[in-house]
Amino acid sequence: MASIDIRSVHKLYGKTPAVRGLDLAVEDGSFLVILGPSGCGKSTLLRMIAGLEDISAGEIAIDGRVVNEVEPGRRGCAMVFQNYALYPHMTVAENIGYALKVAGVPKAERADRVGRVAAMLGLGDLLARKPSQLSGGQRQRVAMGRAMVREPGIFLFDEPLSNLDAKLRIQMRLEIKRLHRELKTTSVFVTHDQVEAMTLADTLVVMNQGVIEQVGTPAEVFRRPKSRFVANFLGSPPMNFLPAEIDRRGRAVLAGGHMPWPDLVFELAAETRIEVGLRPGDLTPVAGKAAEGAIPFEPDILEDLGSELHWHGTVGGSAVAVALPAATPIPAGPVGLKAPPSAVHAFLGDGRRAEPAAAPIPSPKPSGEAPWRATSLSYT
Amino acid sequence: MTNRASAGRIAAHVVMIGLSFLAIFPVYWMIQTSFRAENEIFSGGLFPAVPTLKNYTDVLAAMPMLRILGNTVVMAGATTLAQVATGLLAAWALVRWRFPGGALARSLIALSWLVPFQVVMIPNYVLASKLGLLDTVTGLVIPNAAAAFSVLVLYNAMRGFPREVIEAARMDGAGNFRILAEVVLPNLSAPLASVSILCFISAWNDYFWPLLLIRRMENSVVQIGLQFFMTQEGNDWGPLMAAATLASLPILALYLVLQRQVVDSFMKSGIR
Ligand SMILES: Nc1ncnc2c1ncn2[C@@H]1O[C@H](COP(=O)(O)OP(=O)(O)O)[C@@H](O)[C@H]1O
Ligand SMILES: [Mg+2]
Repeated sequence: MASIDIRSVHKLYGKTPAVRGLDLAVEDGSFLVILGPSGCGKSTLLRMIAGLEDISAGEIAIDGRVVNEVEPGRRGCAMVFQNYALYPHMTVAENIGYALKVAGVPKAERADRVGRVAAMLGLGDLLARKPSQLSGGQRQRVAMGRAMVREPGIFLFDEPLSNLDAKLRIQMRLEIKRLHRELKTTSVFVTHDQVEAMTLADTLVVMNQGVIEQVGTPAEVFRRPKSRFVANFLGSPPMNFLPAEIDRRGRAVLAGGHMPWPDLVFELAAETRIEVGLRPGDLTPVAGKAAEGAIPFEPDILEDLGSELHWHGTVGGSAVAVALPAATPIPAGPVGLKAPPSAVHAFLGDGRRAEPAAAPIPSPKPSGEAPWRATSLSYT
Repeated sequence: MTNRASAGRIAAHVVMIGLSFLAIFPVYWMIQTSFRAENEIFSGGLFPAVPTLKNYTDVLAAMPMLRILGNTVVMAGATTLAQVATGLLAAWALVRWRFPGGALARSLIALSWLVPFQVVMIPNYVLASKLGLLDTVTGLVIPNAAAAFSVLVLYNAMRGFPREVIEAARMDGAGNFRILAEVVLPNLSAPLASVSILCFISAWNDYFWPLLLIRRMENSVVQIGLQFFMTQEGNDWGPLMAAATLASLPILALYLVLQRQVVDSFMKSGIR
């Protein structure tokens, strides 16, 4: 097991930057997932950790030892590649045992260790087969076995599940999680699949265009995205964004003059343009065009996913999706959408998150109780 | 299938059969002439009236034909081994490392393919004579020990080899020679067979360089041996055809054994 320290690492391909000044610490035994769109530099970062790519500037240290100039085979990392990268002419046993053969481990011990790893991965019956005689899932397992057999300090995964079909992907995801629970090997897992990222990560890193957008637990990153990019990237259907303007008292006013959250105050200058972000699952439809505190919704298409309903439409010209539990009765006639203030995300013009003032004071309601419990207004 | 389509296929086959005859006939004529007695050489007919082995005994009497064949096998074999070895190492270097001037090196190698033999034959000859390689089989092999053709074919084959597999081997701790020998090479059998076969055949058929370098019959190779029967007083057709038959037998045997690979290698290298 090992820790990784990445200090202001840059990578240039010619003059094009792929990674631009990245700092990251991976704790011993943790499972870190790097999530980002295709081309954002995830693989490049992983390959620099592995030693397959030179580091243009900065330092990478494994267990406190700077490894910039250390050969890939001597860094104590094992890697699982997206397309498995098995040796085509070797049997499963030879594939798994190759690192041990290179290291000069005696044949008997090698067979023993390969056998143990194969048993762990359910590959016991396939040891004599060639990769071409295996299914995608089995190849994936062999690739895992090849990484595990050396008992490395660090596992590096580069989108290892993206070539599998949906069902296998879920199964392998669970298996990777189980293996990590058992082996506790420090793992860095690169993916562009948010579900994989959310489910596997202890620590989630969202990358965009060669820099880190946010680091945190999956829950933190999902509930409190630091930027519009992160907010938009996580969640399905993605977060809805509505243009808004700050009024003189710091409240967000939506297009059409709607002010659904009068108690939510931002410390921003009047007339600042922001975007209000609302997750589809945080929205509840209410009957009636101008229900109290609701935003008028123009429904368009209703999708029934079986487990969930997705209701697509517009609010003041912006596309909005609402996710509802299955079998929610859909109100006929005009509808509005409601969201608790705690579900409101706000982003500035440059994409940074804007926080509302710490504890908004609920305004007294003329009749009945406040629509939301005061505690739900807290942001901590 | 419509009548028209089948008519087209028949026509195509007729043409192909005709072309096959064109290709096979000279070979057949060579073989049957080699069995004709001297007085029968110019008489017509598809078969020798009285087949005789006299031309063959004449050839074996006139020159150490077995030794010459042996020389040729050694020369072509050594040339092939050398070209494959240098080609593998050069191609591996070009594929494995990106280095300044790598692309330039590759273009220069490709360019060297276009340099005609006539341009380098005098310098090579002078060098060979200074090194004392005149009239030796070694002298025949060394100038052909590296060839652009094998470098480029193997380069293309290796470039098609998945980069991740090489990287996986690096992660597994294997050094560069080990990766070449244990990971890349075993997956390169088809291009290696192509290069070897084409290289062997072209070395076997080489004429000019041995003609320049070789003085004595016992150091000679078959293509030079054939020349012995072409004299100013006219060609000695019977023994010439017998020697030519002997010269082509090993290649013919190679072809029969590796038929599939030979055809493949010609198709793949774009030479037909
Ligand atoms: N060998 C290379 N040469 C030049 N550019 C590259 C190379 N590898 C990657 N890049 C570029 O670097 C950027 C990041 O690539 P990569 O790390 O593979 O992205 P990701 O894995 O996040 O999809 C991309 O814009 C890609 O085009
Ligand atoms: Mg990638």
